[in-house]
Amino acid sequence: MLFHAKHAFMPNSLGYCGPDEKGQIQRDLEKDRSDEKLVQTLQKFEAAYPFLRLIAKSAGRQVFDYSVPEAYWLGNRLLDLVPVSDFYSFSHHEIKGRDPKKVREVFRRLDGTAPPHHTFYVMSTYATTVVPDGPNVTNQSKGRIAEVVDNCRISWGTVRRVGKDQLQVEVSRVNVDDGGLSLARPVLKKVRYNPEIRPFGTVKCGDVVSIHWNYACDVLTARQARNIARYTDADIGLVNRLMKSGEGRNH
Amino acid sequence: MCVTRAGKVVSASHGRARVEFFDGRALDDVDVSVVDAKKGAFVEVFGNLALGLLSPAEARRRKEAWIEVVKAAGAVRD
Repeated sequence: MLFHAKHAFMPNSLGYCGPDEKGQIQRDLEKDRSDEKLVQTLQKFEAAYPFLRLIAKSAGRQVFDYSVPEAYWLGNRLLDLVPVSDFYSFSHHEIKGRDPKKVREVFRRLDGTAPPHHTFYVMSTYATTVVPDGPNVTNQSKGRIAEVVDNCRISWGTVRRVGKDQLQVEVSRVNVDDGGLSLARPVLKKVRYNPEIRPFGTVKCGDVVSIHWNYACDVLTARQARNIARYTDADIGLVNRLMKSGEGRNH
Repeated sequence: MCVTRAGKVVSASHGRARVEFFDGRALDDVDVSVVDAKKGAFVEVFGNLALGLLSPAEARRRKEAWIEVVKAAGAVRD
């Protein structure tokens, strides 16, 4: 459960999702404590929690078993166990903020290959959200959209310098251009971290960390680092197919 | 994770806006420059960026859908 809380924490603290109980998640993470109150808080996330329930049901696991949020945020083989028909039904009935017509188009155009992976959700939201054509959609605007997509997805980076409350990481950003989405060459970037949250008290150069909204969430194992790279690459491929097949943002 | 939320621009200046969402919450510093939204416009917000403009009819539909989500979230617990 703490793995999930670590990744949900920053967008919640910024007010972008989940309940308005900002201090509690951080307090629990710093105390390395998972209790019923934290469970109740994490159940109030409008999208993340339903996704976990979907994956857990398909895999026969408990919602907060480590592997379930790991599948959702980073990617693992549990994603492959979610039947397309279940994900399709879920997308209609549990994520009601999304336009049902767009959901149908996503599944139809991708031949049922859409995964219940956080990064795919973020990128497909970008791909299917209407942005009017016009003089206001400038290169600067595209850059701003790319920045939000990049901040909202889970990215990963290799630690190059450890500061008091910031890490310098080598990370690839998302590019958005007429050819679709892609990952750029790695650059150095500063992200925040909390040394009070385990295992960041011992974070060191060479560690690979997951990043959400410019905040280092956790130190990844080699397997997890491979998975997030592999699933992100697959997500980008699917979203580019989606956009090129006509269900893009300009319609 | 971020959810796409629909809301109304209640004040705007120089591409930044305060947006009040249908769940009763609000964000003070939403970037509305991409969609050039003005006060009174309905917008679709992802993170802190307005990605789309909504017609009043679509905004009403989103509001009703959101109320269903809130009800479902209260009813469906493991």
